[in-house]
Amino acid sequence: MIFGLVQILLFQSLGELISQFLLPTLPGHVIGLVLLVLWLVIRKGVNAELAMVADGFSQHLGLLFVPAAVGVVLFLPQLKANALAIISALVGSVVLTIAVSAVVARFLSKKTVNE
Amino acid sequence: MSKQHSIVEIWVYLSGSPLFALFITLSAYQIGLTLYKKSKQNPLANPVAIAILLVACMIQVIEMPYSTYFEGAQFIHFLLGSATVSLAIPIYRGLHSLKGRSIPLVFSLAAGGLISIASAVGIATLLGADSSITGAMYPKSVTAPIAMGIAERIGVSPTLTAIFAVSTGILGAILAPFVLNALGIKAWWQRGFAIGVGAHGIGTSRAFSIHPEAGTYASLAMGLNGVISAVAVPVIYHLFNK
Repeated sequence: MIFGLVQILLFQSLGELISQFLLPTLPGHVIGLVLLVLWLVIRKGVNAELAMVADGFSQHLGLLFVPAAVGVVLFLPQLKANALAIISALVGSVVLTIAVSAVVARFLSKKTVNE
Repeated sequence: MSKQHSIVEIWVYLSGSPLFALFITLSAYQIGLTLYKKSKQNPLANPVAIAILLVACMIQVIEMPYSTYFEGAQFIHFLLGSATVSLAIPIYRGLHSLKGRSIPLVFSLAAGGLISIASAVGIATLLGADSSITGAMYPKSVTAPIAMGIAERIGVSPTLTAIFAVSTGILGAILAPFVLNALGIKAWWQRGFAIGVGAHGIGTSRAFSIHPEAGTYASLAMGLNGVISAVAVPVIYHLFNK
C-alpha cells in the first residue's frame, strides 16, 4: 500500500511542479494524472500496490469532497434566491447531456458498422 | 475547578483540534454509507449527500464557523489531488475499450461536454441566476476534484462548483436509466459512456453496479471528460466572460 501511495504522490508532485513552472493553465493534479496514464502505457501494466490504492480512492472518492461541499452553509441565502434557476439548470443539463452523448455514440457506431 | 468549567474546557480543546472536524466528517460519511446499504443502494440515499447534509447541520447547530471546520477537515480535502491522480488507473484500464470505437466515443464526449456547459449555463442565465452561480455551472459535469481545480483557475467558487457537481452526479444516477430507456439505447457501452459523460463519479459507480461493461465505459468517459475539460472549460469560460 505504501509503495502505491509513493507512486501517486510522486506523480502528483511532478504534476504540481510542471503546473507551477511550465504549464500554469492546467491544475497540477490533472497533469499528474496524464503523466501517470502515460507511464502505465509505457510500463504496460498496473502494479498491485498501485491498483490497491487507486481502487481505495475511487471507492470512497465521495468522502473527499465533503469538506468543500459543506461550504454550502456559506451560500445558503444565495442558493435559496436562485433555487428555481439552479434546479432547472442541473436537471435540464444532466438529461440533455446523457441523451446527446448516447444518441451521438449510437448514431456514429451504426454508421461505422454499415461501412 | 467546577464541573461546568471542565466541560467547557474539554469542548474548547476538542473544537480547536483537527480531530473533531475529521471525526464528524468520517462518521457522517459512515452513517451515509450505512443508510445507503440499508436502502438497498437506492440512488436517492446517496452517502455523499447524506454526509454533507449531516455535517452542515452539525456545524450550524454547534455554531462552529465553516473556516474552523475546514481547518480540521482540510486533511481530507488535501487527498482530492491524490485521488485525481489515481483516476489514471481506471482510464488506463479503459483505454483498450477505445479500440474500434474511438470515433463514436470521441464525438459523443465532445457533444456531451459542450451540451452540458451550454444547457446548464443557458438555463441558469435564462432563469435569472447571478453570474457567480452561472460561472460555477461551467465545470459541473466534471468529476468533483477536477471541477474544483477548474473553478479555482477560472475564478469562480470551488464550493458552489463542488455542490453542483455532486448534485449533477446524484441526479444523473437517478435519471439516466429513464432517459436511456426512453431513447431506446440498448448497448451497455453506449449507456455507460453517456452516464460517465453526464454524471461523472456517482453515475460511474451506479453504472458499475448495473453492468461491468457499462462501468468501464463510464469511468473512461469520466476520466477523459475530466482531462479534456481541464483544458477546454477555462478557454470556453473566458470566451463568454470577457
